[in-house]
Amino acid sequence: MTNLRLLDGRALELGAEGFAEHVRRLGPLPDAGPSLIDVVAASGLTGRGGADFPVGYKWRSIAAVSGGSAVVLVNGAEGEPRSLKDRLLMTARPHLILDGAFLAASAVGAKQVVLYIGEEHHSARQSMKRALAERPEHERRLVRIVAAPARYVAGTSSAAVHLVNAGVATPTSNPPTPHERGVDGAPTLVQNVETLAHVALLARTRQLPGTLLVTMAGGVQRPGVLEVERETTIGEAVAMAGGATEPSQAVLIGGYFGSWIEISKALTLFIDPQALRAYGLSLGCGVIGMLPASRCAVCEVAGIMRYLAGESSAQCGPCFFGLRALADACSRISEQGTNSSDLLRMRRWAAEAPGRGGCHHPDGAVMFLQSALQTFGDEFAQHPPHLRRSA
Amino acid sequence: MNDTLLWYTTRGAGAVTLVLLSASVVLGILSALRVQSATWPRFLTTGLHRNLSLMTLVFLGLHIVTAVVDPFTHLGWLTAVVPFSSYYRTFWLGLGTIAFELLLAVVATSLARGFIGHGTWRVVHWLAYAAWPIGVLHGLGTGTDAFSVWFFPLTVICVGAVLTALGYRLIAGSRDPLAAPRADFEAAVQQKEA
Repeated sequence: MTNLRLLDGRALELGAEGFAEHVRRLGPLPDAGPSLIDVVAASGLTGRGGADFPVGYKWRSIAAVSGGSAVVLVNGAEGEPRSLKDRLLMTARPHLILDGAFLAASAVGAKQVVLYIGEEHHSARQSMKRALAERPEHERRLVRIVAAPARYVAGTSSAAVHLVNAGVATPTSNPPTPHERGVDGAPTLVQNVETLAHVALLARTRQLPGTLLVTMAGGVQRPGVLEVERETTIGEAVAMAGGATEPSQAVLIGGYFGSWIEISKALTLFIDPQALRAYGLSLGCGVIGMLPASRCAVCEVAGIMRYLAGESSAQCGPCFFGLRALADACSRISEQGTNSSDLLRMRRWAAEAPGRGGCHHPDGAVMFLQSALQTFGDEFAQHPPHLRRSA
Repeated sequence: MNDTLLWYTTRGAGAVTLVLLSASVVLGILSALRVQSATWPRFLTTGLHRNLSLMTLVFLGLHIVTAVVDPFTHLGWLTAVVPFSSYYRTFWLGLGTIAFELLLAVVATSLARGFIGHGTWRVVHWLAYAAWPIGVLHGLGTGTDAFSVWFFPLTVICVGAVLTALGYRLIAGSRDPLAAPRADFEAAVQQKEA
């Protein structure tokens, strides 16, 4: 079996693939155990939740301290506003995710699996619950399902662990990291649902699946989820989404913690975490947002900055006050036109803020702003007053 | 001539250290009080506090190195690390050594905060309140210029600034302006039934 794709099988409109159909198509759950860790590490698979962290490395460090007591937390919070791929996968191919979770549990030595699913992703939660009911008893008794609050930071691994432990999905400061001390104090593997689906295929074929899921957003004819080969360029993905609605000026790669790229440089980039990393970019959570030429870049950026400032969990001053100050300066330029003091202030504060919070929320927001200031330098330098409009 | 240069550098660096450390302590207290305005967000206070602290260590290093290598003093390197080991002004130099080591602990734990965790960092950071007065006493006790017309008023200003900030902190407390937004946010991300 080679070249398996995540969304192979029945048409997506037909809903979830049941357990019998899943097993008929892919065979039973392969044997895993610790040897799967080497396969995962050798494949170069990285996390598809946003952080792009090497999966094998994470599994190895948990397996080393687990002693059979670890917890696997399946992250289906998908709090990224434009992303849809996680809930689509949970809705259509729940058994791939469950396979991946049980394989991970067997590999790192876990006695518990927590499904952490966005509270507003109703069909995804229904589908995962139904799929779980179809699994054998020895698998089912490992699992519990928890609703993830519908906020941006709730998908952070430490917030997920904090919700399970203390009932509040706020990020906590590291150390200890979840893989040192997570759910109930046990070493906890927090892994995105798409990553686990990749593991389910990887365990069968012993090679990295050639495709991954992205969400096309913004100025394309058919926004939504695509499964693309790793050799697909952004230009080709736009064509697969029905083409652009109008000429684009820039692309936001990786969602709200991602980077802006001018359209001239973006269209030939490969949608491949490794290839993007070579350019200092990250595919992040896989959102590819096309900004049409007719939209004002500065106003878009200001809108997203206001959103990210509002998503601070208000635990640390640099994040709560710093992001607010940055969003305010950005909004003033957007609404009242460029002024050099706000521009200067943004550049200075953006250099000051990273690494100052207990979690990485301020870092992500500031990286987003810095890439915007770089890509839209001219637009920020000569922006006319615009009336406030929602992004 | 060179010896004199070293000696003047020791005294000058000591005075600069006093000013920088006092400013850093004042900013540290202000940031604990969450002092801020529209044009001065709080992370500027903490950023300045951090940079002043690093600069303090640089001038303190200069102060110690020039004092030790000065052939006239014959202090030896042990004096820089072991308190009260100096033949010369044993007590007052010992205070300087203690203040130096406390500061080193404060700065090192700040740089390693990501590894040691917030709780440990905070406990060690309270040592700054010990390092500063010990350093001031060291300056008054052994400083060649301690009661000169330029250094003594400088000490008075530094002590006055820190005491004022400290008094303000004790009176104003450290009201947490994040308490309300944090409570709002926590209410929004409470666990609901699965």
